[in-house]
Amino acid sequence: MFFHIVLERNMQLHPRHFGPHLRDKLVAKLMKDVEGTCSGRHGFVVAITGVEDIGKGLIREGTGFVTFPVKYQCVVFRPFKGEILEAVVTMVNKMGFFAEAGPVQIFVSNHLIPDDMEFQSGDVPNYTTSDGSVKIQKESEVRLKIIGTRVDATEIFCIGTIKDDFLGVISDPGGAL
Amino acid sequence: MAQVDDDDGEEEEEDGYEEGFIDDDARADNPDEDVQRGSRRHFNPNPMDDTDDMENLEEMLKWKYRTQSHSDFDEEGLTEVEQQALLPSVKDPKLWMVKCAIGHERETALCLMQKFIDRQDLQIKSVVALEHLKNYIYVEAEKEAHVKEACKGLRNIFSSAKILLVPTKEMTDVLSVTSKSADLSRDTWVRLKLGIYKGDLAKVVEVDDVRQKVTVKLIPRLDLQALTDKLKGLKVAKKKSFIPPPRLFSTDEAREMNIPVERRRDKDSGEYFEMVGALKFEDGFLRKKVSIKSISTQNVKPSLDELEKFGRVGDDVNEDVARLSTLSRKKGHFMKGDAVVVVKGDLKDIRGCVEKVEDSIVHIRPTRSDLPKTLAFSEKDLCKYFNPGDHVKVAFGVQEGVTGMVVKVEGHVLTILSDTSKEHIRVFADHVVESSEVTTGLTRIGDYESHDLVLLDNLSFGVIVRVESEAFQVLKGVPDKPEVVLVKLREIKYKIDRRTSAKDSKNNTVSTKDIVRVIEGPCKGKQGPVEHIHKGICFIHDRHHLEHSGFICAKAQSCVLVGGSVVNSSRMGVDTADPRLGAFRSPARILQSPGGLPPRGPYMNSGGRFGGGGRGGRGHDALVSRCIKIKSGPYKGYRGRVKEVNGALVRVELDSLMKIVTVKREDIADTANVGTPFRESRYSLGSETPMHPSRTPLYPIQTPMREPGATPICDGSQTPMHNQAWAPMSPPRDNQEDGNRGTWGSWGISPAYQPGTPVTRPFDAPTPGSGWESTSGTGFGDAPFNAPTPSAQPMTPIPASYLPGTPGGQLMTPGNAGMDAMSPMIGDEGGSNWLLPDVCVNVSRGDGSTNGVVKEVLLDGSCRVALGPSGSGDEVTALPDELEIIRPKKSDRVKIMNGSMRGVIGRLVGVDGSDGIVRVESPLDMKIVDLVILGKLAT
Repeated sequence: MFFHIVLERNMQLHPRHFGPHLRDKLVAKLMKDVEGTCSGRHGFVVAITGVEDIGKGLIREGTGFVTFPVKYQCVVFRPFKGEILEAVVTMVNKMGFFAEAGPVQIFVSNHLIPDDMEFQSGDVPNYTTSDGSVKIQKESEVRLKIIGTRVDATEIFCIGTIKDDFLGVISDPGGAL
Repeated sequence: MAQVDDDDGEEEEEDGYEEGFIDDDARADNPDEDVQRGSRRHFNPNPMDDTDDMENLEEMLKWKYRTQSHSDFDEEGLTEVEQQALLPSVKDPKLWMVKCAIGHERETALCLMQKFIDRQDLQIKSVVALEHLKNYIYVEAEKEAHVKEACKGLRNIFSSAKILLVPTKEMTDVLSVTSKSADLSRDTWVRLKLGIYKGDLAKVVEVDDVRQKVTVKLIPRLDLQALTDKLKGLKVAKKKSFIPPPRLFSTDEAREMNIPVERRRDKDSGEYFEMVGALKFEDGFLRKKVSIKSISTQNVKPSLDELEKFGRVGDDVNEDVARLSTLSRKKGHFMKGDAVVVVKGDLKDIRGCVEKVEDSIVHIRPTRSDLPKTLAFSEKDLCKYFNPGDHVKVAFGVQEGVTGMVVKVEGHVLTILSDTSKEHIRVFADHVVESSEVTTGLTRIGDYESHDLVLLDNLSFGVIVRVESEAFQVLKGVPDKPEVVLVKLREIKYKIDRRTSAKDSKNNTVSTKDIVRVIEGPCKGKQGPVEHIHKGICFIHDRHHLEHSGFICAKAQSCVLVGGSVVNSSRMGVDTADPRLGAFRSPARILQSPGGLPPRGPYMNSGGRFGGGGRGGRGHDALVSRCIKIKSGPYKGYRGRVKEVNGALVRVELDSLMKIVTVKREDIADTANVGTPFRESRYSLGSETPMHPSRTPLYPIQTPMREPGATPICDGSQTPMHNQAWAPMSPPRDNQEDGNRGTWGSWGISPAYQPGTPVTRPFDAPTPGSGWESTSGTGFGDAPFNAPTPSAQPMTPIPASYLPGTPGGQLMTPGNAGMDAMSPMIGDEGGSNWLLPDVCVNVSRGDGSTNGVVKEVLLDGSCRVALGPSGSGDEVTALPDELEIIRPKKSDRVKIMNGSMRGVIGRLVGVDGSDGIVRVESPLDMKIVDLVILGKLAT
């Protein structure tokens, strides 16, 4: 799920950036530092939408660095248990398949794939229904439900299922198949 | 008597009666009574001693104790309160623990018994030797002194042994044993302790308490072939080593082997069995009657696999599993808030969460609202419950320590996706706990860690891909198919951590940490860093490979180094393998930059191999931003890119460590095989090309000489040593190095120059001069060389002796030019061209031959010889062909006339074939020299 929230961060700025463009530098550095990171609490920081407030800088003794407390608005993405997501399949193997929804990696175990879908090994490993009408392979888009998340410091890993109503393939790669 | 006492105890234990012991203790209150007891028990055996009939004795004892124990039980029928009163108190005799020789506990007890019988004054009450307690016996007595008195003089009790008092409270524990057979009932899982089924899981079908036997059901380990042989009456050699694998018995299979299978109905139960001989089968399982003692009921802990094998019978496996998993629970298994499910009883399958735990009673709050708020269950009726998606940690069993997410819940078996290996693991729900931590579980046992390369018992090797609680999973080094074996710690010989490298399919050198791609075989297309190399087999770690924790085993030959060169092997050979050629190229660099001439130290030597300076174009060393490999020093084997060159030091950014280190320049080697954008430049012949022009003028002269197959010699002589040897020479000579090389090695052919351009020789080819001077170094005419080629031939038999001489050729005597000028005119035959003064010769003139001593060797090769054996006669001038050296004899003083030792004087101490052993005078040394070049010194 996406959230638009306000976060705070202490930014350290090198003295060489002090000058008329200090604020720009600070914001640029903030974006560079923060966007794309992941925290267990808030999830992935997708984009910074604005800076609310930059507090008073504090000069660090010895180094000359200045620490600014910065409050910024950002869009974060955090997967939750029970959430329905659309994701792109990245890898298929006999144990299930991996899919990605933006920065989040989701594993769908073969236990959580409908029983009528069977694993077909070969050049393009895939899961196919017995009548061959539905096929999950690399680059397929699937709708899945997250049933578990594991949050590390730098990564969120999810386990999903497509063994439920209205879940499964929503489009084949390129629509050709 | 103590022995008997002990036996008594055992009997009682087995029957589960402890009253006897307590009873005894209680009676012991009163010394009189004790005497009574003593008499009652001690006296009885005495008359039997007389009988001497062991069988009778045994018979009587059996009868006696059986009746006794039963009668005790029957008569007394103590209530619990009465029993309490019988417990030992402070007034009772104490129990003392005495240390004795290990393994002699029973013997000691018997000795004490004998002593007690012999000497009535002993004041001990009883002696107990416990089966399970080694090194100690218990002695019952009022005082420590009594015990000491009793133990005095016993062989098995050391006088210094401490005597410990057993606290009153613990006295009962000494003889009470947790009854083993108590919970042995139908459907209990047990393991067999003996025979071929040792360690196998079995299920109790029937318990016969009276005969102490149980009937168990287990998966048979049948050797049908052996069975047939036996039925046919063949003598079967007993092979103890072979234990057939467990397999369900199949009637059809047996019939095929002509084993008669009878179907019989059991009289009592009415069930049908298949009988093969005396073996009884049911549904493929073997029914076996075993003694209670031969099974173990403790810590059975069947694994899921084993259970599943039994599961075929159509039992409710799930229930079984649930009950089983409850067996191995620890205390405090349930905690408040745990999600549980009821597995037994009327409320089976009710879910809830734990509210309160009181010992073995667990109060749960059911999730269903139509039930009372809390329900109380016995701990054994509950099992933990997990939902898919829960993150759990395995707390027991083989997979202990692994964490993962629950993927599937099948009753009480969970399928977990391991966090690290991304593999599915099946475990009991009861064996996991909810946890948010992420671990791999065990990573090492002993010295071995997962991902180590190890050598196994049978000389095979492999990588540890998983560490289990008692064993390793090892991916063996067989390239064709992934073979994983379970290996115990002791089966591992040692860890292989030698750094080796191998050649890939393109002949690039692959070392550990290099990234390779598999191009053939089952793992084709996989790619990853090489973790280990052993015997040409690479273990590659591919993050996307889900099996064997990402390890792939492949032949180095079926891999290709990613980013590696695809240049054919011959070029690679030029660049890396052949050090001679590396050196071969170095002079070129010097040519290119004359400024680089003077320091021809080792640095430059290697520097030369890296190509000429200045090519970098930015004014700094061409080594910068090169990919190199460190070949010695603490970072040996690392690869990296050169960041900066600072004199003899090079700063290298290591690929694998992401840091910059400083190494000596001589410690690095250019890597020909790690692909880099700079590769082209390294292979470019830029550094070499200038060499060719400078060489070309020489070719016309050299080529003919090189052709006759002299080249190998030429190469051989082109060793770094030579380079250094030549270093002090004047610069122009350097230009000629190539030429020199040719002449040196193939000296015999050098006359080929002569017809060429005698005039230019002094300028363009000082080489011949330098080549010769080894032969005519002292300036006495190059007699043989003046003659056109054929005349050089006579020399060829001896060149062997010349070769060692060549280095000595440095002495460019001033006479060099003169010699050259002279050589054309001189001499016919080279036989004596190496004459030296003071050597005895034979002068053969027309009139005969006389002895003489060479006084002086003239420039034209002729000699002034003083006639007479000691040189005291007339002096004549003789042509070289008139002179013949007198071969020295043993213990003659000799002069070495050729080779590196030319001019050295010594004494011939022995002759060995064509070699002479010379003791050189200064420095004192022994040399072995060709006899031909030894000349006898005049006395």
